[in-house]
Amino acid sequence: MSNTQVSSQRIAGSRIASLKSWGQGFFWAILLIYALLTLYPLIWLIISAFKTNSEFFSRPFGLPEVWHFDNFVRAWKSSKMATSFFNSVIVSVVSLVLTLLLSALVSYVLARFKFRLKGWTMVFFIIGMLIPIHSTLVPLFILMKQMSILNTYWALILPYTAFAMPTAIFVLTAYLATIPKDIEEAAYIDGTGLWGVFFRIMLPMSLPALSTVTILTFLHSWNDFSFALVFISKSTLKTLPLSISMFADGFQTDYSLTLAAMTLSVLPTILVFLLFQEQVMKGMTAGAVKG
Amino acid sequence: MKKRFILALAIAVCVSLLAGCGGGQSADNDASGGKQEKITLTLWNNWSGQDAKAVAMRKILDDFKAQHPEIDLQVEALATDGLKTRLRTAAAANEMPDLFVMWPGAMTKEFVNGDLLQPIDDFLNSKPEWKNNFIPNALDDFTVDGKTYSVPMNLAPSSLIYYNQAIFDQYGVKVPKTWDELLQAIDTFKRNNVIPIALGNKANWVVQSTTFSTIADRVTGTEWFLKAVAQDGAKFTDPEFIKALTYMQELGKAGAYQDGYNSIDENQMIQLYTQGKAAMFIDGGWAVASLVNTASADLLRNTHITILPPIEGGKGEPQTTAGVVGTGLGVNKKLTGAKKEAALELFYALAGPDGQRATLDSSTLVSYKIDVDKTKAHPLFVELTELMKNVKIVPVYDSKLSSAAVEVINNGLQDLLMGGKPEDIAKRVQDAQAGAVGK
Amino acid sequence: MNASRVRRFIAAALLPSVILYALFVFVPVIWSAYYSFFNWSGIGEAKYIGFQNYAELIRDSVFWHSLKNNVIFVLASILGQVPIALVLAILLHKSNALQRFMRASIFMPMVLSSVVIGMIWQYIYHPQIGILNFLLDALGLGSWKMQWLSDPDISIYALLPPLIWNFVGLYLIIFISALQNIPSEIHDAAKIDGVSGARKLFTITLPMIWGTIQVAIILCISGSLKSFDLVYVMTKGGPAHATELLATYMYNSTFSTYRYGYGSAISTAIVLISLLFIGTSQWLTRRKAD
Repeated sequence: MSNTQVSSQRIAGSRIASLKSWGQGFFWAILLIYALLTLYPLIWLIISAFKTNSEFFSRPFGLPEVWHFDNFVRAWKSSKMATSFFNSVIVSVVSLVLTLLLSALVSYVLARFKFRLKGWTMVFFIIGMLIPIHSTLVPLFILMKQMSILNTYWALILPYTAFAMPTAIFVLTAYLATIPKDIEEAAYIDGTGLWGVFFRIMLPMSLPALSTVTILTFLHSWNDFSFALVFISKSTLKTLPLSISMFADGFQTDYSLTLAAMTLSVLPTILVFLLFQEQVMKGMTAGAVKG
Repeated sequence: MKKRFILALAIAVCVSLLAGCGGGQSADNDASGGKQEKITLTLWNNWSGQDAKAVAMRKILDDFKAQHPEIDLQVEALATDGLKTRLRTAAAANEMPDLFVMWPGAMTKEFVNGDLLQPIDDFLNSKPEWKNNFIPNALDDFTVDGKTYSVPMNLAPSSLIYYNQAIFDQYGVKVPKTWDELLQAIDTFKRNNVIPIALGNKANWVVQSTTFSTIADRVTGTEWFLKAVAQDGAKFTDPEFIKALTYMQELGKAGAYQDGYNSIDENQMIQLYTQGKAAMFIDGGWAVASLVNTASADLLRNTHITILPPIEGGKGEPQTTAGVVGTGLGVNKKLTGAKKEAALELFYALAGPDGQRATLDSSTLVSYKIDVDKTKAHPLFVELTELMKNVKIVPVYDSKLSSAAVEVINNGLQDLLMGGKPEDIAKRVQDAQAGAVGK
Repeated sequence: MNASRVRRFIAAALLPSVILYALFVFVPVIWSAYYSFFNWSGIGEAKYIGFQNYAELIRDSVFWHSLKNNVIFVLASILGQVPIALVLAILLHKSNALQRFMRASIFMPMVLSSVVIGMIWQYIYHPQIGILNFLLDALGLGSWKMQWLSDPDISIYALLPPLIWNFVGLYLIIFISALQNIPSEIHDAAKIDGVSGARKLFTITLPMIWGTIQVAIILCISGSLKSFDLVYVMTKGGPAHATELLATYMYNSTFSTYRYGYGSAISTAIVLISLLFIGTSQWLTRRKAD
């Protein structure tokens, strides 16, 4: 190409480029506004938690006149949040760990091995995704009463895990199917046992899917209300959603306390998400798959 | 690395869990050390909030615990809806707690049918001054087949008009003493862009309990209603019921309510009133506590309470309001011996004369004959008690109807206010009640 | 690796999960289906009535109306959440701070419990003091104001924005990890071949993540058909059953009207209908090559 052609192309190119970047900038601005809009309700929640009841009633939108930090203190104390926080953490973390371990094992088997009842096993687990949990409240209650595990942590951990497994298995199996088998095959040839391959290769490789499952399962256990309401009746074992509901009687809702309690309970979930979304992204750029 | 970390975490958690479980066990076995075995009592209630009554009840429980170190009292406080769900599930599995807050009427009947409660007649009869000091008919809704299973711990008139005198004065409206005056008042307010009656019917029992039950009673009379409930000599397709529905619909058509009332709940309904946007709202006696908590002092001074006006040609008594005696405590059928005695003692602490007094002092109406302490109570509450002295309670629909019919009428009223046909709705209610009664 | 070792491994891997799941999920579901053949109030005796509950179900207009609402949810999810999440995923797959912030914000609604979401949106839709009507007024579009959650004709549609808002983040994350899973060799090959932009999107990117899209669709369907929390908190299925969903109807039948047998019939129907929908979607989105 001659010099003039190149330079005129460059000028034309740069004009198009600047138009493009204008358009792009505008485009990103729209996206940013969208993101902020999705954040607004959460921000509204937090701001409202600082208001008094009458202020919330008279001006639901808008900043509080006085920032009542004591709402949080009162909410924490009167619903014994320290206890319910602790219980929620125990229950959510243990069911999470159990879910991850058990589901990963099952997914590994379903994705990599052939055996007679494989198709049926898959269907068996997938059906669990379709069950509306309220229909199992009474049967589970009777079942767990007979197993004498009502009013213990297991009364929540076991059902949470059992109900989280279908989705987890579903997501993990789908993910594993997209990963080529070369690395495992190499490991087998090297003499690594099945368990070794599972723990040292499959698990690390499935990090993104595991992170997705972590977020989902943790959220579900943390926010569950129905099971916690019915299967636990000892106040020392109460979980967070139950504590929050305390301030809302059928006839009266103490908004300032309820909102403060909700804000407090939302913080860990935000934390978990922020931690794990990095994992979801990181897993890929680390190039674990390419080897 | 990751695997070991996860494994370690899992083990640590399991150990702490087992420790937790083990800890629970040893606390129970502790009793073997002392002379007397500690009696464990479980109580489920809905005194979980920060409202005055819940606080008062919790104080009684604390006092009881202090006075009775030999009783291990395990209390579970839940919001009303949660309590009901848990009670139902426990009932299905026959795992009721020792004592629990119970609603009169349909719920009591169901629980008696399911063989879950034991009657307290002997206990009541052993304390005649207590038994006889309840307002007339207070124990009826807790009595099934001649046996009484509880006493009411409060009183819930459900149909009171709370109005803002200042707004009334501003537009020259007088407190309506007839149905037509009510419609006129509504019209005046509408024309001046004031919401005549704030309504929050999201929980769909609101219209039925607070307004319709009274209107229906005014039109049909109580006797007819009770017969229709029993499906014995009256049906919901009778003309008087259709007339009642029509009156209700008339209220809606007159524009009494603000737009979108079916998506607002009770709290937000009161909110509209406290913001000065509505001239009136119709709610139960329990709303006094809400108002006192959220309204400005100015508004409270201007707020007064009255009942719905009479309806001409109606068979019902005019000085009445729909309502129900309040909740009581159910006693588990399986209690015997020392445990039963302890439970009844707790029952007496909560529902006996002292308990009723504590409830009244917390600005909650009771079904017991005691006078309010005017020095302690809020003026609005005092006004309410004075009003109640001259007003009789007639049954609120959802305390007498079968739960299936209650669902139907709640939904039906929403339908009615949106323009549904009274005859269709009447028929649906009739079918539901007939089906439930087994006819 | 001999066959028996493999078999033992498979058994060891599957057994604990199968037992736990069978005991805590499968058994209750079967039990619940068993109750559907009875007339039971939940307390006291149960009367066997065969398929009567199901016969009533078929004639029950509220049931069909609820089903219709669920279908609306399913369609809104598949046609709303999935495409929006897909588009956002394609736009937001880089790792710079701005994009991370936006991804986090879009996902944020997922961490909120449905009680919180319900309350927030109730206030947005509030007919008198809600922000939506307020904005419409401010923009001079006052005539577009409606009773968003009260009007039986539009209330079910008014529930769609909170639903989509709630779940877009989830699918966003799923799609992003799928997109980033595409080996860089593919991208390189595409560059060499000169394929880019829209053509690349449709001929390379989308087909590569088709499996994930199928997964997302199934999650959508199963989630929408058993959807309960959000609607229950916002409208309880009202007014007058206008926004009733299968799951809320089942809940009311079981816990409000004491018709436990009937509620069980509804929940069994939910499972069967879900199976039907998923089967259909799988068949519709199947690909010839694998």
